[in-house]
Amino acid sequence: MAKDRNQDNDYVGQLRKLLLAVLVLCLLAVFLVWRIDSPRVERFRAQVVDTVVPNFDWALAPVTATVTILRDFQSYQRIYQQNQELRRELQQMKSWREAALQLEQENARLLDLNNVQLDPRLTFVTGVVLADSGSPFRQSVLINVGARDGIVDGWAAMDGLGLVGRISGVGENSARVVLLTDSSSRIPITVQPSGRQALVAGDNSAAPLLTFLDDDDGVRPGDRVITSGDGGVFPASLVVGRVTQDASGRMRIRLSADYERLEFLRVLRSWPQERIEDPGSIVDPETPEETPDIADTATEEVPESDPADG
Amino acid sequence: MAERSVTYLWAMRLLYLALCGLIIFLHLLPLEPVSRFWAAPDLMIALTFAWVLRRPEFAPVILIAGVFLLADFLLQRPPGLWSALVLVGSYTLRSKALDLRDLTFTMEWLSVASTLVAITLAYRIILALLVVDVPPLSLSLVQLLMTLIAYPFMVLASQTIFRVRKIAPGEIDAMRNT
Repeated sequence: MAKDRNQDNDYVGQLRKLLLAVLVLCLLAVFLVWRIDSPRVERFRAQVVDTVVPNFDWALAPVTATVTILRDFQSYQRIYQQNQELRRELQQMKSWREAALQLEQENARLLDLNNVQLDPRLTFVTGVVLADSGSPFRQSVLINVGARDGIVDGWAAMDGLGLVGRISGVGENSARVVLLTDSSSRIPITVQPSGRQALVAGDNSAAPLLTFLDDDDGVRPGDRVITSGDGGVFPASLVVGRVTQDASGRMRIRLSADYERLEFLRVLRSWPQERIEDPGSIVDPETPEETPDIADTATEEVPESDPADG
Repeated sequence: MAERSVTYLWAMRLLYLALCGLIIFLHLLPLEPVSRFWAAPDLMIALTFAWVLRRPEFAPVILIAGVFLLADFLLQRPPGLWSALVLVGSYTLRSKALDLRDLTFTMEWLSVASTLVAITLAYRIILALLVVDVPPLSLSLVQLLMTLIAYPFMVLASQTIFRVRKIAPGEIDAMRNT
């Protein structure tokens, strides 16, 4: 009887081992497919997230709100102190507000003088943060606007104050914003006022690194950092933050966006800028095309005729 | 009797699924999107190991694979690798379960720790070999430690709240016969 059971056990054990091997192989296959064809699997991941997470929405929001209230409650203990601090800050803010109003008027006057046309297509969609990445190794948030609202991969996301990150992974009803602090985030920026170009490279800490700075001098802690718009990834001159120096002397960036409370994010609609690729037609405007046929042949002949002209 | 134990079995499997869902949900709450220098314990793996060592039939392999693959997708990990390693780890623990049944909790904790360290090492090595971004070492270590600290509490909760206990030697035959 006992022997019988052992054999039975062995048989079941073999089956179990087989099942385990098959499952492990399947999972490793998924991993390898991800490694080989990452974009497709990431799109699949976006779909999975898109179907699963919005279902939790009814629970995510109230639980988050409750925890936030509880946290705020802790701060009641030092309410007097806070009140004093707020009064002091309010004083400073009032003076800043005056300065800002004056500057706004001046800016409007100057824009008017120069007859500046702001791009009418530069608009934004606002979304609510649904969930974060759920892992300490990834810095990203999920927002509740997606392909349905016309969101496209690569667009910039800001809060009211500064750049937060870029869209990476769009589902039907949700999109993932990879924060500037994520270790895979690289954004081309300009340091003002020196105008140096560099990259902001996230390294999983609150203040991302300033890398690929072409020249160190002229960049000091406190300088403003804005996006440069290089590579056509982002619109230029979005506020990113200020330069600081960490204990080991490396340049980092204190971000303007309030990462402590990311609640509403603006996704800027950015359209690819028109590219001028045909220098001939600028230098030599005398070759206008009359019929489509001639235009076709003309564009084909351009590379050959160019050296002849020169 | 047989009916009841079958429904009980499936109820416990559902409970495992629900607990894992709850843990993923807690991870997804947008409370602290900012970077931290510490990492929360990986409660899912603590739960899985605790249950596998106590009542393996409540956490069948296929359920573990499914839940962890979903977690991989939702929590932005490279999909598949971590779940495959967790499966292998839980299988080694499962095969040790009979020996561990009679030993103290410390021994159990040690074997869980060694399995977890082995899994984490393998994960990092494979990621590095395939030139994928490896998570920072300090953060991985902190998470490992936190998980190990959380493990006894997970076991305590499993035993008191969910009544997932090791089967006493005499009970096995009774279970088998039902």
